[in-house]
Amino acid sequence: MKTEVVGTGSRGTRIVGSIALVLTALLLLFGLVLSPPEISQGDAVRLFYIHVPSAVVSLYIAFGVTLVGSVIYLKNGSVFWDLIAGAAAEVGVLFLGFALITGMLWGRPTWGTYWTWDPRITSTAISFVLFLGYLAVRRLDLDPVARSRRAAVLGIISFFNVIIVRFSVQIWRSLHQGTTLNPADTQMDNSMLFSFFLGMLAMVATFAWLLMHRFRLAWIEHQLEEDRLATAIAARRGEASTFNPGTI
Amino acid sequence: MGWQYTIPGYLIVFGGLAIYIAFTLRRGKRLAEQLPPERRRFLD
Amino acid sequence: MTEIDLTPAVEPDQPGRSRIRNWLIVGGIGALLAFILVQALTSARVFFYNVDEAVAQRSELGDETFRMQGVVVSEPETDTDGRMTFTVNFNEVDAQVVHVGEEPSDLFELGQNVVVEGHWEGDAFTSAQILVKHSENYVAEYGDDRPGVGENISQ
Repeated sequence: MKTEVVGTGSRGTRIVGSIALVLTALLLLFGLVLSPPEISQGDAVRLFYIHVPSAVVSLYIAFGVTLVGSVIYLKNGSVFWDLIAGAAAEVGVLFLGFALITGMLWGRPTWGTYWTWDPRITSTAISFVLFLGYLAVRRLDLDPVARSRRAAVLGIISFFNVIIVRFSVQIWRSLHQGTTLNPADTQMDNSMLFSFFLGMLAMVATFAWLLMHRFRLAWIEHQLEEDRLATAIAARRGEASTFNPGTI
Repeated sequence: MGWQYTIPGYLIVFGGLAIYIAFTLRRGKRLAEQLPPERRRFLD
Repeated sequence: MTEIDLTPAVEPDQPGRSRIRNWLIVGGIGALLAFILVQALTSARVFFYNVDEAVAQRSELGDETFRMQGVVVSEPETDTDGRMTFTVNFNEVDAQVVHVGEEPSDLFELGQNVVVEGHWEGDAFTSAQILVKHSENYVAEYGDDRPGVGENISQ
């Protein structure tokens, strides 16, 4: 029974997963029920508790992990870091998609539009496309090493755009709110602030949990791909040997 | 006021997460079975 | 199936020039994208002009469509044709706005910071879209924690 296949789960993922689940339940409780509506936005303010956390986790944490993984991979060719970078980018793209969608849904009742070509929205959309491109490169049918190297370079370049997203509201005139999270001048009701922090914790924990599972899946995929390659090479060697000069 | 935007937002985020989680875990389970035990490094 | 070749797998293709070239292509595309972004956003095409700038550059702007930011300083009035008229101000310069587009969000009111999109038409700015630029301040509705409390207020 010791060798029972359990997929990508383990003690570690179950612990992190339980924490993520509890935090998410608390987020739903506080974000949707216990926190008050905002004085002018009403209940639309509740989108804030998931919009900002998914953007922050995606842009800074997930894509930050992709950056670090890509740099290490280019330096020493570590398969581990290559796969970590790819796993983080996939979860990051998912979270950034959530940030864009919740942003649109929040923009309509507040700004009065789902979309406008504001610097922050535009740069975020470009980030989304870049990391989507990164994931596409990782799926190219190429020699695995060449593919991972290209992906790593793209991962590093794409992160520069994340820096542009971060400072877009300061560099350019923008419709988008600036950083709400400056603790020095937070102008927010306490229960709203608490809901927001729950949102942050829940998203971070969920990301960590997903990253573990996604990395392990990538590891399995990598092993199976290596097996296939080795089999293919062996098959070709076998073919070649039948044309040995000696046999003709 | 605003629930008509908030509810779809939460549904998309948590529904989307649920779908992604289900897909990832199922694929992990399926592929892990194809992998010989001695190559399951990082899996526990 | 079980006859596995145990010789170490060699890299299927040779390292060298082509790999570095492909590398640079991908890098170049990414850099180009970032460059375009910076160009698009730092050039004259700002997301919006402030009212004082838009007024000062009225002749250059002509009937070009652009966005203008200011604070609503007069109570918006809607005439029988559904056109809404109000005054916006920025840096002590006023501009008359005639809005003919879609209704703005519920947050639109006297004293709000808005970004209107449209063009100069005579002395007034004809707006097709009003965007409400709300602040980072979030205030609880009457400090009452129960959900649904806002319902009767928002009507």
